[in-house]
Amino acid sequence: MPDWGDLVPRLFGARVERREDAALLTGQGRYVADIRLPGMLEATFVRSHVAHAELRRVDFSSALKAPGVVAAFAAADLTGVREFPDYISWQREVRQFPLQRDRVRYVGAPVAVVVASNRYEAEDAAELVEVDYAELPAVLSIEEALAPGAPRLFEEWPDNKVMDLPEHDPEVDRILASSPTVSGRYRMQRQAPCPMETRGVVAELVHGRLTVWSSQQSPHILRTTLATVLGIPESTIRVVTPDIGGGFGGKTHQYPEEVVVAWLAMRLRRPVRWIEDRAEHLVSAVQARDEMIVLEGSYAPDGSITALRAEVICDVGSGEIAMPGTCTSLVSAACLTAAWKIPHYATSVTCVVTNKTPSGAYRGFGAPEAVLAIERFISRVALTAGVDPIEARRKMILDPEDLPYMQPSGNRIDSGSHRAAFERAIELGQAALARRRQETAGDRVRLGLGYCQYVEPTVPSYFGTTGYWTAYDSSSISIHPDGGVRVSCGVAAIGQGTETTIAAVTADALQVPIEEVTVVVGDTDSCAYGLGSWGSRSAVVFTGSILRAAEIVRQKASKIAASLLEAAEPDVVMEEGRFHVRGSSTPAVGWADVATAACVRTIDLPDGVEPGLDASATYEPPNLDHRPDAEGRMNGAATWANGSHSGVVAVDLDTGGVRILDYIVVHDCGRVINPTIVEGQVHGAVAQGIAGALYEQIVHDSGGQPQTASFMDYLLPSATEVPRLVVEHFESPAPETPLGIKGVGEAGTIGPGAVIANAVSDALSELGVDITETPITNRSLLRAIAAAGASRRGASPEEPSGGDAAA
Amino acid sequence: MKPPLFLYLRPDSLEEALAAMHEHGDEARPLAGGQSLVPMLNFRLARPEVLVDLSRVEELVGTSCPGPSAISFGAMTPQRAAERLEKVRSTCPLVSMMLPFVGHVQNRARGTIGGSIAHADPAAELPALCLALGGTVVARNAEGERRLRADGFFGGPFTTALMPDELLTSVELPGVRREDVAFAEIARRQGDFAMAGVVAVRETAQTAVRLVAFGVGGTPVRLPRAEKILEGQELTPACIAEAASAAAGEVDPIEDLHADGRTRRALVDALVRRVLGELGSEGAR
Repeated sequence: MPDWGDLVPRLFGARVERREDAALLTGQGRYVADIRLPGMLEATFVRSHVAHAELRRVDFSSALKAPGVVAAFAAADLTGVREFPDYISWQREVRQFPLQRDRVRYVGAPVAVVVASNRYEAEDAAELVEVDYAELPAVLSIEEALAPGAPRLFEEWPDNKVMDLPEHDPEVDRILASSPTVSGRYRMQRQAPCPMETRGVVAELVHGRLTVWSSQQSPHILRTTLATVLGIPESTIRVVTPDIGGGFGGKTHQYPEEVVVAWLAMRLRRPVRWIEDRAEHLVSAVQARDEMIVLEGSYAPDGSITALRAEVICDVGSGEIAMPGTCTSLVSAACLTAAWKIPHYATSVTCVVTNKTPSGAYRGFGAPEAVLAIERFISRVALTAGVDPIEARRKMILDPEDLPYMQPSGNRIDSGSHRAAFERAIELGQAALARRRQETAGDRVRLGLGYCQYVEPTVPSYFGTTGYWTAYDSSSISIHPDGGVRVSCGVAAIGQGTETTIAAVTADALQVPIEEVTVVVGDTDSCAYGLGSWGSRSAVVFTGSILRAAEIVRQKASKIAASLLEAAEPDVVMEEGRFHVRGSSTPAVGWADVATAACVRTIDLPDGVEPGLDASATYEPPNLDHRPDAEGRMNGAATWANGSHSGVVAVDLDTGGVRILDYIVVHDCGRVINPTIVEGQVHGAVAQGIAGALYEQIVHDSGGQPQTASFMDYLLPSATEVPRLVVEHFESPAPETPLGIKGVGEAGTIGPGAVIANAVSDALSELGVDITETPITNRSLLRAIAAAGASRRGASPEEPSGGDAAA
Repeated sequence: MKPPLFLYLRPDSLEEALAAMHEHGDEARPLAGGQSLVPMLNFRLARPEVLVDLSRVEELVGTSCPGPSAISFGAMTPQRAAERLEKVRSTCPLVSMMLPFVGHVQNRARGTIGGSIAHADPAAELPALCLALGGTVVARNAEGERRLRADGFFGGPFTTALMPDELLTSVELPGVRREDVAFAEIARRQGDFAMAGVVAVRETAQTAVRLVAFGVGGTPVRLPRAEKILEGQELTPACIAEAASAAAGEVDPIEDLHADGRTRRALVDALVRRVLGELGSEGAR
């Protein structure tokens, strides 16, 4: 594990205040929507209002006469533009052009663009664009997509399966055939990442160079993609991601609007701006989850699972998005066994296309779905075996001596506090439940305890997601003549405290005050190639590359300092940012002296030392597989975080209402760089997990019209819906990453669905309610309670699933 | 999400406002806080030719007590202002109990008492409050003033007895003591429109209870069958259960994204039991 060596870190592990906040909280941030350029035009997109149709004709004749309109374009007008590249060989090719050509496959699909002097006029004119749709039957669910004779989204395919990876494990078959088994079907609803800042793009062409400001998590990947799709040299493109108001995965994709707005700036020779509004966001930015997991497992008398077969089936919407949404289902398959020792495991993965908005990345990336399924399944197995569900779990959880642990899927759990974190979460949860039982709850209210355990692949390979990019990132450090430090990185700042953490790591690595470190991210002209921020990767990859670059700079500085001190280089040490001879703190020179010699008074440089004091370095995470081996096994992440959550809920039998009374997170992301930032990440992610458990759901009617067109109906949790959280850190250093750190961005989303489903099932265990779906709503729970009652009375039961997917 | 073109008028007096409504009639919509109308404009669901912004009409702002046990709100009184007034709390506590459930603080800072009642969202608290208390809506047009009883004012979703050129100028509510009122609602989240809500007002002299449910139909509705069961009765658990079950049976609930009819009936049942239980325990004190 690369460590600090002789350096004494001052900021690592400390609660360094976020340097971003003052500006962002006082309206001084600069987002894409704040960028105003002389002569700038505004674009608005004409989007399909039908779910599935042949696109026959687009007529701009009325729109072009409307006040303020400058131009309008449809797919056929986009000269020079190519299809989005699709690099993935293990799924069917989805041919995607930035504007829909001959067919629309979801409500919200971009069909045309109208450019006017302002957005009001652009929207007035967009209403006048006449689009001739010949409607086709819509396919809106996994079941509809897989039904024999189902309408197909892509005529050139034999069915609606965009990815279909079957399993064949004769050993699993044999065990399941010869043992008692339990099966279950679990479902997590469609959600939308919903960052506070919607998407937005501004583009201009100046002196033959295209600058594109976009609300993006991966500026360099966007640059590469724009070059490919626009057919222009990558060196003529600059991508800038200014302040970003959240991404949550949704802004890792490369979107049609980014290409079209860039093309408009080239074509019209004027700056063009498009800011996504929330109604557009809810139909045109990627959505996620929408997955069904079918499990069958055999078990031992102690309730432990001896073999498990999983079918992961994901509805990825129309599939028309660069960086396809299929990969989350592979992560579901990989995360399903969590830190449970399940000796035999086989999984098939199928992704279907439907007439809904394309799916993509969303914080958690397949893991929340998997943990909901396995947690509910383990409880079902335990109850079938007549074993306490907590005891059944204790039989299966990883112990320190099991590490590193090779999962059946090939993932290598490098480290973690799996049993300890689980026991602590159970302990805190049981104590909370006991406290709540003291309070009078009313005779129609039931309390329940829920819990879960998970592992999270952090710093993953991007090859499995993109079929192109892999995992490394870059940092550059330069020292200015006054001793100030500039550090630039290939990751993006999307609100997660990245700049603070980059500054702290750099300050420790150079032993300078953090105030002297200037951080530059999100500008492809200023930062070396990097892959951006996603996959709970940023801290590990920027720390790795910063430490390497700082090492090079320090070595050169030592040489120069030795010359200035007229000492031998091996005798010179650096302490607290001062260079001096070992054993005597005077005379000493500082970074300003060294940098002045390096950059300005080069007459002071020793012989053989070149001017300048800067270095660039990359970091490639070790022990990471980008491709599966011959048996289909791969370790998809550089290091594995873990955690265990628990919670207490109160369920009202009369209203189906669920209140979360306590929520506890015991979390392990290796060494913690900044506890405040880690807690902030956990809090936000848990809120999104709670949202998935109880509130958020993208709903379509039977014709494919989205019913959740605003935040009136797509229910984000507010402060009143999120309980006070208890967060404890366990620190199991990653053995192979720099400083033992692991990623943390996504972990909090993984637990709440499972915890709340477990807790509600526990609360209603006397009725036999077994929650298998989210979201859990008044409606779904009243149904489940009624169905459980009917089933007890021997009437024909409805499926007591508890989820609200039927909405 | 930008509204189409409209003519924006911002009169400085009620007279000017009424003149504008008279001139533009059907084409005009008064803007009285904009917490519902502005989103509808932006979604292009409402397309008025003329918007008459009442925010500068001082005559419509304020709270007064026309009698010893009554309170009158000028239509443009901000909900948040009414919520904070001690006079309101002491005279008509039900108003202070229900206002915190109208959206969020930010919505109530701009949203007005009259705006919400005139908008007549079937799931909104203020129309239900008005109906439960037997309030009076005062409306004016260029010709004169009308006083309309809350019973009959709400004709359907977003539909009232107001004529196109009329402005709701004030609403008068009788004061009912704290121990004679109860209210409960269930929404998906705090601040959302309720999936169902129930208001109970005891009319002490007649030993009767007015029961109103909202969020379950096209308008807030009285629950006459449940009220009949309660007439002259003590609020015993058995009587409450009977009334709750009658209430659940007599509502004709809508189905939407957040709840189906069966859920809404179950919620009405639970809420009637809750509010009557509260009235019963208050009465016993």
